[in-house]
Amino acid sequence: MATITVDGKEIYAKDGSVLIEELLANDINIPHFCYHPALGKDGNCRMCMVEIEGKKRPQIACDTPVSDGMIIRTKGENINRVKRQILELELINHPIDCPICDQAGECSLQNYYMDVGLYDSRLDTPKNKKRKHTDLGANVMLDQDRCVLCTRCVRFTKNITKTHELGVVVRNDHSYISTFPGTKLSNPYAMNVIDLCPVGALTSKDFRFKQRVWFLKPEVAICDGCSRGCSINVDHNREKYKDDIVYRYRPKYNKEVNGYFICDYGRLSYKKENDNRLKNAYIRGMESEFEYAILKLERLLKRYNSKTLLLISPNLSLEEIYRLKKLAQKIDAQINGFDENFDENFGDDFLRKSDKTPNRKSIELLNIKNTKEDLQEQIKNKEFVLFIGREDMQTVENLDFDGSIGVMTYKDFKEKNKPDIVVPIVSHTGRAGTFINCDGFVQFSSCEIKRDMQSVKILDFLEIILNDGVTECEKVWSSGLNKEEFLNSISLSMIKSKSIKIEIK
Amino acid sequence: MGIKIVPRYGNTLKDKLYLPAIFGGMKTTISHFTKNLRDTTNIKTQCYPEVGPIDITDRYRGVHRLTHREDDSVRCVACFMCSTACPAECIFIEATQRKDGVDEKMPKKFEIDLLECVFCGGCVEACPCDAIRMDTGIFTFIAQKREDFVLNKEQLLANKSLGEEK
Repeated sequence: MATITVDGKEIYAKDGSVLIEELLANDINIPHFCYHPALGKDGNCRMCMVEIEGKKRPQIACDTPVSDGMIIRTKGENINRVKRQILELELINHPIDCPICDQAGECSLQNYYMDVGLYDSRLDTPKNKKRKHTDLGANVMLDQDRCVLCTRCVRFTKNITKTHELGVVVRNDHSYISTFPGTKLSNPYAMNVIDLCPVGALTSKDFRFKQRVWFLKPEVAICDGCSRGCSINVDHNREKYKDDIVYRYRPKYNKEVNGYFICDYGRLSYKKENDNRLKNAYIRGMESEFEYAILKLERLLKRYNSKTLLLISPNLSLEEIYRLKKLAQKIDAQINGFDENFDENFGDDFLRKSDKTPNRKSIELLNIKNTKEDLQEQIKNKEFVLFIGREDMQTVENLDFDGSIGVMTYKDFKEKNKPDIVVPIVSHTGRAGTFINCDGFVQFSSCEIKRDMQSVKILDFLEIILNDGVTECEKVWSSGLNKEEFLNSISLSMIKSKSIKIEIK
Repeated sequence: MGIKIVPRYGNTLKDKLYLPAIFGGMKTTISHFTKNLRDTTNIKTQCYPEVGPIDITDRYRGVHRLTHREDDSVRCVACFMCSTACPAECIFIEATQRKDGVDEKMPKKFEIDLLECVFCGGCVEACPCDAIRMDTGIFTFIAQKREDFVLNKEQLLANKSLGEEK
């Protein structure tokens, strides 16, 4: 342990650790471009200068090891002058086109300029012009003018994905980021460079000009693209006279699960929250009143009772699966979680998993049958199959089932005249819930975006039948879920703040 | 609710009679009447709407307009500063890629709901490109339906400044 003094305040740090890490961990504002915790130091931007007592010149914090008794100043006239001068150099060729830059509002360069810059340009020669709005491939747009050459993106493709697509070409103030001639940026994690880029040089083609970032409201959720269950920020906004729209997913730092990154598939999976949504309830293919359809479905379940099979999706949350199991017990129905959503080509050794459902572990841990053989056995003599969170009706058609079908889903699908009843439910970001990932991490997705479109939460629907007033995740936990063996010593409040690993036999 | 009793004005006989005050008022009315009858050119009132106001200054905040660049294309870059600043939230913008090489971004849709607008001029202050102004001098707008009060991009671009019209 080392004790260092920063701006007159003592902090404790690990001896030999990198100074900038300790400063950032103690919420001390250190401007930096090239340093990133996932990529380490590079020492090229010189923004993180601090004054260290005993050293002649200011030192960069990202390449200075901590030693006991260091006295450091991060503020003051001297150091601010240094920062101003570095910023002035960074901005010599910067186009300052913040009004049309998608990064404006979350741009480090903009923030640092407002903090310490605020000078008038002394430049009277024309700026170096490079290429603007260049499509790098993989939904990444490059603006070479705005680049500060921190090489975070270059180091990402070099060290993390090891695909080496990007590089810095040409010397001195003409240098710019580029792919090799004739090649494109193409790897399943390429869009992470958009978040890594501290300025507006790399922006998302998908999010381009859709919304200014200061309008967006971030919510925390778990990605439902695969069984990794990466932590994400869901950026959404409700414009005046319009419905709430999810504009993008961003990775959220989670030490245990995904680190700083998510894959492009997961990042773009926000689209299913907005597009192709089931907007109406249908009874025998006819559009129906929403409330009537819900009552009708309730009556159907009561009528068929033990002749019912609940076919649940591994996309549902732990709370929903637990309550559905309760429903199956109450009406003496069968419940099955068979789902074939595997893609062997999807998985890799970084984040992506071949199992493209976020919560298959919960079905297994709650001892719900989920094999095809079980489904064949359970469907015998059944007259009503209710699909919950899914609409793959061919699964039971292949098993020669010819009874009634009910579907509860959020996706629009073609054969709406086939089922007896179709009820729209809320999508993944519309309800909170717990998910257990492939490695047994129990995680809570707290994002609950309220939308205008007609849809019912599964927990609300089940409360109508089970009639015990349990509609919130908290109540599901206290009503018996917390007594499940695999969740011993875990409470909902614990997983709200971090992912907790459970032992899986 | 309390009642406030206001003391009656005027205690003298002249005040209590009322008639001197009535005749005093009539004297003013009749003197103006005869003066205006003798010289109709100097009457201060205007025959609105046949005659429009002549005292609208350059600073008057009228209906908005979108300004043009030198090449007559739209100046606005759809940065959303005006709709961010707008207290009435009556500016509806949709941005799109600009393809003619002049700039990168332009508004696909730019609408101002005049019925919601409070004519504060915040959008003009906020605009970093001098793309929106309220110098048209238009102080009155008439339409049949509510929807017609929502000015679209083309209408806003067609509005001229007060000086241009003269």
